[in-house]
Amino acid sequence: MSASCAIRRLVALAAALALLALPLRASAADVLVFAAASLTDALDRVATAWSEETANRAILSFAGSSALARQIQQGAPADIFISASVEWMDAVEASGDIRAGTRRDLLANTLVLIAHGRDVSPVTIDETLDLAGMLGDERLAMALVEAVPAGIYGKAALTALGLWDDVAPLVAQADNVRAALAFVARNEAPLGIVYATEAVVEDNVTIIANFPPGTHAPIILPAAMTAESQSPAAEAFLAYLSSPNAREIWAEFGFIVLD
Amino acid sequence: MWEAAANWLGPAEWQAVRLSLRVSFWATVASLPLGIFVAYALARWSFPGKQLLNGLVHLPLILPPVVTGYLLLIAFGRRGFIGQYLEAWFGIVLSFRWTGAAVAAAVMAFPLMVRAIRLAIEAVDPKLEAAAGTLGAPPAWVFVTVTLPLILPGIVAGAILAFAKAIGEFGATITFVSNIPGQTQTMPSAIYAFLQVPGGGEAAGRLVIVAIVIAMAALFLSEFIARRVAKRVAGG
Amino acid sequence: MTLEVTLAHRQGDFDLDVQFQTPPGVTVFFGPSGSGKTTLVNAIAGLLRPQRGRVVADGWVLVDTGAKHFLPPHRRRLGYVFQEGRLFPHLSVRQNLAYGRWFNPGQSPGEFDRVVELLGIGHLLARRPGALSGGEKQRVAIGRALLAAPKLILADEPLAALDEARKEEILPYFERLRDEVAVPIVYVSHSSFEVARLATTVVALRHGRVVALGPPEQVLGDVAAVGPRGAASVLSVRVVAHHADGLSELTCGAGTLWLPRVPEPPGTTLRVRIAAQEVILSRARPQGLSALNILVGTVEDIQKGRGPGALVALRIGRDRLLARVTGRSIRAMGLEPGQTCHAIVKSVAVAPEDVGTTTSPAHAG
Repeated sequence: MSASCAIRRLVALAAALALLALPLRASAADVLVFAAASLTDALDRVATAWSEETANRAILSFAGSSALARQIQQGAPADIFISASVEWMDAVEASGDIRAGTRRDLLANTLVLIAHGRDVSPVTIDETLDLAGMLGDERLAMALVEAVPAGIYGKAALTALGLWDDVAPLVAQADNVRAALAFVARNEAPLGIVYATEAVVEDNVTIIANFPPGTHAPIILPAAMTAESQSPAAEAFLAYLSSPNAREIWAEFGFIVLD
Repeated sequence: MWEAAANWLGPAEWQAVRLSLRVSFWATVASLPLGIFVAYALARWSFPGKQLLNGLVHLPLILPPVVTGYLLLIAFGRRGFIGQYLEAWFGIVLSFRWTGAAVAAAVMAFPLMVRAIRLAIEAVDPKLEAAAGTLGAPPAWVFVTVTLPLILPGIVAGAILAFAKAIGEFGATITFVSNIPGQTQTMPSAIYAFLQVPGGGEAAGRLVIVAIVIAMAALFLSEFIARRVAKRVAGG
Repeated sequence: MTLEVTLAHRQGDFDLDVQFQTPPGVTVFFGPSGSGKTTLVNAIAGLLRPQRGRVVADGWVLVDTGAKHFLPPHRRRLGYVFQEGRLFPHLSVRQNLAYGRWFNPGQSPGEFDRVVELLGIGHLLARRPGALSGGEKQRVAIGRALLAAPKLILADEPLAALDEARKEEILPYFERLRDEVAVPIVYVSHSSFEVARLATTVVALRHGRVVALGPPEQVLGDVAAVGPRGAASVLSVRVVAHHADGLSELTCGAGTLWLPRVPEPPGTTLRVRIAAQEVILSRARPQGLSALNILVGTVEDIQKGRGPGALVALRIGRDRLLARVTGRSIRAMGLEPGQTCHAIVKSVAVAPEDVGTTTSPAHAG
């Protein structure tokens, strides 16, 4: 056993002990899930449903995919990882932190253009859309366009449509999609580019257009079991994510369920 | 050697460094008078709501920076309950501007500044101020000629601490004014953006080194100035 | 100028309640610590807002709670010399001295040089307070107070923080102030030496009340004011000559007094404080004693204390000399008022700090 392996065991043990301090249900097994922040609302519902059906418990830890991936590489005791981007799942897989054969593409998301308020007319996104004109001297809220997946997809789509150069100076980049959404919800920025699933949970914004599928790489959310997972229920939870019950919840939040 | 150093960072990185320096400088300078005033009030006056003011000043130290940033957005955004009047009456817009980044940095650094200055004021013997009063000096004059010179080391220490904190401020800044290269993309925002991309560690590392150098230089400078001022004040 | 004070102020357990009026000159607030001296002087300075009272200096109302009148300290035209000096550490001696002048622009330019010369601090002007000795600091503090062109000088135990040698250095400056500068002085002290040397009028305080008020000769001999151990006489003497054996010859109303050499030239009038417990009494003229000073007087009165001691007052010419002896001695000697009695005073029992220059008649009046 290598030293780092021993450290991981210790970390896992410490986490397990910490969990023991929480109230336990009879014969319950716990699953620690590291999931991209954009899954927060939907995954909460799925996990609750699973707990009610199986008496097991899923403990959810939401953060940016990059932070979660780095933590898993450093030996965090996660059982399941759901990433918002293929790249970060690739990175974790390449470092040998994913159990072979457990990775699959779980969900797909779509990118939308949103506007502040409820009473806004839809537009069509194509090469002729005068996005800069719609903004005037105001800002287009996006996630970090070089760093956060939603921002990267958005920039790619605008570039493919030939709109990026005009609009680039007007982009306000937030550190995650939720913050970009908040800018539009508070009308600090009149328009924003976010995932369809984010727009659904916010009352003060309206989706005014969907980005055509060809304008950016498919938005895939892969899920996998970690190499160090000790939980007997981890595999069951991973399978449950594609169950009919779960599919219903995903769809309700605007996700597209793959496979 | 300068050229090598200049080329070591890319233009975007230089832009972030320059912006950080500008934002932190103005955040510190602009909040200093209020910082001194609040520190003086907390150190010397008793008034109803003093503990409330004290708590309010320290809030940014306790709250997650993202929350502070969001509160700033609600208050000082263009549609914020203060921001809309700032724009209507004075034409001042903070959101998505470097000035907003300076406000966020100032708010986050304010507790550190006030603490340092307050300690310095509490160390000044009120009897000296009373002595100045008996010699005919009105209170404002006493403050300028006696209190202020005596607390100068504390003011320098507080200002530099605030500057160093402002250089490192991230959470409130990005939440309030987002990340716009040349406008609001400070060093920490740039470092954060680099770290989000697989393989971005190297560029982030360069900026981290710059940040450390600036913070260290500021601390050394503060030590140096504080010592000199203390010596001058103590007489010898 | 006269000083009229009526004050009532309660602070925790301490309760100050005084009413008095003093004539021009040096008024000394005299009493042990906790007697209310500093509270009183701070109320006059305006550093303390009295709960009830009225303070009038030379017709100028500083505070009158009845009329809701309170002059803030900076408008009272005071020169306050504090116990600890309170020089501004960040300013040079020259800047310290000049501080009060900013607010009194009418002062003549020669005044600065005159005060510097009076206090002998010309060589210190460029220094910082941190580089001064305790005595030098107090001299600068006095100068700073004087240069604020005060209508009233307040001095709160300005010598208390100094050792004996330093006290000797500073006291003459206060005497010069009293005799050469026409500014009334309120001086706080718990030392009967300082009272004897400086006071025109003494206000003796105990537990926040005035227990005696009058010239120092009277108050220092008052057991109620100073306690039996503190009782002392203050004699006016004139220097006759200095002798080669280190003694000075002085005359008082009833004879010659030999004291360790005093610095003042012959002809100078001095005040000498003689502690009552240093005086021995004898009915017959004593012979073969080592003591040089034997004064003859008449027993004026005998105050019996609560303990075994008693205070005998002798009338010697114009002066009153007190002796502290036991009640048993009085009975053994059969002492009674009206009898002639000899008082023996050891020369070395009079310490240098007991000797000071006298008030000039102009200010004593």
